Amino acid sequence: MRYGIAVDTAKCMACYCCQMACKDEHCGHDTALSKSQPMMGQFWIEVREWERSDNSRLTKTATVATLCAHCADPACAKAAKNGAVYRRDDGIVIIDPEKSEGQRAIADACPIGAVYYNEVLDIPQKCTMCAELLDDPNYLAYLGDPKKFKKPRCVEACPNNAMLFGDLDDPESDISKYVATHKQTQLEPLAGQDTSVKYINVPTVYLAGTVYLPKELEEVAIGAKVSLKADSGEAWEVTTNYFGDWIVDDLPKNKQVDITVEFEGYKPVKYTAKTDADHYVDMTYLQKA
Amino acid sequence: MAERITHSICVGGAIAIHSENGVIRRIRPIIFRDDDPKGWVIKARGREFTPNRKTQPAFIALTEKNRTYSYDRIRYPMIREDFVETHDGQNRNTENRGKSGYRRASWDEALDLVAREIKRLHAAYGKETITACTSSHHSWGLVGYKLSTFARFFRMMGYTELKDNPDSWEGFTWGAPHTYGYYWRLGGTEAFDLLEDALQNVETMIMWSHDPDTTRGGYAGNESVLWRQWLCELGVQFIYIDPLNNFSSVKQAAKWFGPRPGTDAALCEGIAHVWLTEGLYDKEYIAKHAHRFDEWAAYILGNGVDRIEKTPLWAERETGIPAADIRALARRWGTTKTMGGSGLRGGFGGVCRTANGTEFARLMVQLFAMQGMGKPGQNVWVATTGAPMDYNFWFGGYSDPLSQIANQPVADVTAVNPVTQKLYRPNVPDAILDGHYEWYGEGFCGGGLDLEFTEHIYPEPGYNKVHCFWRYGGTFMGSMLDTNKWIKMYQSPELEFVINQDIHFHGEARFADVILPACTNLERYDIGEMCNSGNGGYQSHSQTGNSWQIVVFQDKAIEPLWDSMSDYWIFSQVAERLGWGDKFTEGRTELDWCRRLWEKSDLCEKVSWEDFRNKGYYVAGVPEDWERHFGFRWFAEEYPCDTPNHKPFQEEGLLGTFTGKFEFVSESMLYYAPNDEVRTPIATYKPSWEGHHSIKARQYPFHLITPHPRFDYHTQHNSSTPWFWEIPENRVYINGNPYLVARIHPVKAKEKGIKDGDIIELFNERGNVLCVARVTYRVEINTIHAYGSSGIYNPVEPGKFKSMDIGGCVNVLTPGRLIGEYVPGMAPNSTLLDVRKWEGPLPESQYFEWKLDKVNFAAEPDTASCSEIIEGDGFNKLQSQESRKYKKERANV
Repeated sequence: MRYGIAVDTAKCMACYCCQMACKDEHCGHDTALSKSQPMMGQFWIEVREWERSDNSRLTKTATVATLCAHCADPACAKAAKNGAVYRRDDGIVIIDPEKSEGQRAIADACPIGAVYYNEVLDIPQKCTMCAELLDDPNYLAYLGDPKKFKKPRCVEACPNNAMLFGDLDDPESDISKYVATHKQTQLEPLAGQDTSVKYINVPTVYLAGTVYLPKELEEVAIGAKVSLKADSGEAWEVTTNYFGDWIVDDLPKNKQVDITVEFEGYKPVKYTAKTDADHYVDMTYLQKA
Repeated sequence: MAERITHSICVGGAIAIHSENGVIRRIRPIIFRDDDPKGWVIKARGREFTPNRKTQPAFIALTEKNRTYSYDRIRYPMIREDFVETHDGQNRNTENRGKSGYRRASWDEALDLVAREIKRLHAAYGKETITACTSSHHSWGLVGYKLSTFARFFRMMGYTELKDNPDSWEGFTWGAPHTYGYYWRLGGTEAFDLLEDALQNVETMIMWSHDPDTTRGGYAGNESVLWRQWLCELGVQFIYIDPLNNFSSVKQAAKWFGPRPGTDAALCEGIAHVWLTEGLYDKEYIAKHAHRFDEWAAYILGNGVDRIEKTPLWAERETGIPAADIRALARRWGTTKTMGGSGLRGGFGGVCRTANGTEFARLMVQLFAMQGMGKPGQNVWVATTGAPMDYNFWFGGYSDPLSQIANQPVADVTAVNPVTQKLYRPNVPDAILDGHYEWYGEGFCGGGLDLEFTEHIYPEPGYNKVHCFWRYGGTFMGSMLDTNKWIKMYQSPELEFVINQDIHFHGEARFADVILPACTNLERYDIGEMCNSGNGGYQSHSQTGNSWQIVVFQDKAIEPLWDSMSDYWIFSQVAERLGWGDKFTEGRTELDWCRRLWEKSDLCEKVSWEDFRNKGYYVAGVPEDWERHFGFRWFAEEYPCDTPNHKPFQEEGLLGTFTGKFEFVSESMLYYAPNDEVRTPIATYKPSWEGHHSIKARQYPFHLITPHPRFDYHTQHNSSTPWFWEIPENRVYINGNPYLVARIHPVKAKEKGIKDGDIIELFNERGNVLCVARVTYRVEINTIHAYGSSGIYNPVEPGKFKSMDIGGCVNVLTPGRLIGEYVPGMAPNSTLLDVRKWEGPLPESQYFEWKLDKVNFAAEPDTASCSEIIEGDGFNKLQSQESRKYKKERANV
């Protein structure tokens, strides 16, 4: 049995239900596994967002609901003294609220900033995967079969099935099947780590643009060929859509990319771009060949 | 004691409430049991779609616990410190309203004062001298709702009714009916079963001024999020048109267009030009169903009165969208099966609250008509309503007269207001301050096109003026216009007595003479259906915005906190003191009324009262082969109309216009108001009276757009829930004050020397507001975007006219002017302003908390202060105090 949570960034609409449900569960209430989360300042699950844009023409946002990854080999446990951080048999990593007192190193050790330090209580705190609810046989007793619906509060609150919960050790569980069939994208600071929280579809960077016929014609170029070639040798080819738009997403980061725009009867146009960040390359106005 | 689970509904959806030892422990979605009905299954494009087996409340609903124990709860009846109960209503220090603090009063003292004042006012001026005004949905449930308890009280007493303007619909209410009728839906259309139609047929979605993840189908929470996910998975192309690349757009848009605010009608005309010149429209449909189409087409093609051809290049100059893009948009729309519309449920959106909103609404409808509106995959539908439902199950919504306790048959006797005098909400301050005001229309004009043109005069001949204002729920400082006017009004001696009855100490409560603390939905009994605004009402069958039709017994989770009481109790106590308490209550408790509503609906045939009460909710299943009544299909396919809630003439294939057709030249406008400069017989783009063509733009070059908020519901949640202040796209909590985020384009920010996160001042001649700058490519370059409906109004000099606000109440900047002489709608999205970096010292904290702290500590020395509840352990303290009280009381029983 290994409890896990899959977070599919592509489905996340940034609705904040997970973050609010977590606060609703943990702010103002102590449990055997954790002390109360302070009213403000801590986010045991945090909706982290960034804008993917350098131009008005195209903006997407990436939203990664970030919580303790429940690592198989947690950095925080290594930093802890007298066994203040332990990993349960079900894979959930818990910080003991008594033993961890004064151990700021536990919070500092987390590579993704998911462990917070409570200055008032002088303890490190984080997500428990709602283990106290999963353990409690009386919880949910009023709403049908308690086992069937038992989920951490964040997963339960998600309206778009962007979060899944279940047993990663069971290959037939929904979560295992989902993880097996979708693109896993471990958070960069956790590269190489085996974690019980699986991040899916976290984007890297895109290059994009729009191709037009000469400006006075007031027409987009549909079906123009856009070829991209990275200095590492990889290549991509796309054609422009009904808006003359082209986009290549999830590119490898920090490559130099040569771009050629071709459309029959017009002069090819060349660009170079770097995949250091998302770039809208240009509104390309073609010229007659 | 074991956990107890009760249920409730709020504007963010249906929730389950766990409470323990007299305090609320947690708020969850309602997870359905195995014995609840199966969900509907829609088969489309080789897939089967069915909803999750739970309600899907929005994040605002998941924080109802915080709203209950919030720092700004009004705990006790309060009376303004320097209020003097003079015998003639004069010399009451009214100029100090908004400035002065309060003292705690007992319920008897407060209620006796209210009753004495009502008697004095009635004797001196008559019943019409009292006016009262509700909020927009600060609570839910058929007993406590404004059209029930509030309406029952005031209609029985007699009062000057204060008419709401159709604030969320404006352009559609006043415009669209002149093109295609549907005045009984305030200009919106019918969405029945269009989810299935869309999943099977649609290729392109036009999301015009529409942010479905923000406006959430009205009161449907996140119920429809999954539907849009399905459409995306099917490859449907979502095209968003909005000066803000909004929160749904950045996630789903295949393309975003950001027109300059107020120019959307020009974009409509540019699209029409492409269709007309390239023949990309349904000529057969138009020939049959359109009235005077050719005259309009001539206008677009440059043969109208202005001799200007509305080419894509012409539209580019107004909107800022490249002509080539406009052509591409027009062709995609004209050659694929396209559904769409504006805002919320298709006839809403920030664009309809501009000076040109009526004309946009009319033109948008004309565009959908040109593509054969009503044919499969071609309709006005915006992916927020139209789920399958069992149309044969009826449980009333709030606007159904049959389900209001003000009326029979729920009540034994219908309450009727004997006073005919009216006031009109957007201009209450003008009417009170000037003593005279005239306007057209009945507010919501759902009864007919003629109602838009009825004349009103205040004071009505033979009536006295209003001298008492009873405000009930919510605050309009953040949702009405040029709201500094409201301060002037409140400080005028014309208002001899001001009562505020509310749950939270919001902006307007601080101007009252006496404050009556109401409790939240979770502290009293009620009954309601999620997102049902009334099957006979203006938004009939809005519960098709849910994946499930669910009626909830809104059980009392905890006893009312502190001295707060239910609105029903408060009104019955006043009625009692006025001598008609029995008539008001008919001897019924709130629980009795709940049962009465169960009994008067189809619910009583489905489930016994006891079972319903015990389980807490009832899910009305959808039969496997449910009746389909595809919206507007009857018109396109010319069969007798079969949609629920239709008008008799629809059965003859007619629309609600004079000719029964789509009127491209409006016969009703020619008949009622041929000289209306705003709504010309042919709908046209007209530059805004406060826009980029105005002289004022030289001084104030930015447009403000201030749409319905993402991180709140009207003014209800943001103020009371500090967790929202930690959402970077919403607010930034600095120095004890939650500053609202205002968005500015990077190019303009650079010109102004503004960096992301800077405190900036939004200002024009009407006022100034400090916000936090969010520098982003998501706004149109000339636009400042800051959400409206701020529940937080935090003037640095409380009670001072035009004091700078740091609460994000940007409505102080919006024009008080209505859309037009004959169009009494509001246009807050036609605001010009300028911005600058704030160089002054950072103001300190919130400027009203002391008033609450003073009263609260006097009553309970060991209670928590406002700031302790916001950021310290005040919440824990309040809950453990309540829990101790509860255990003690139980021990004594």
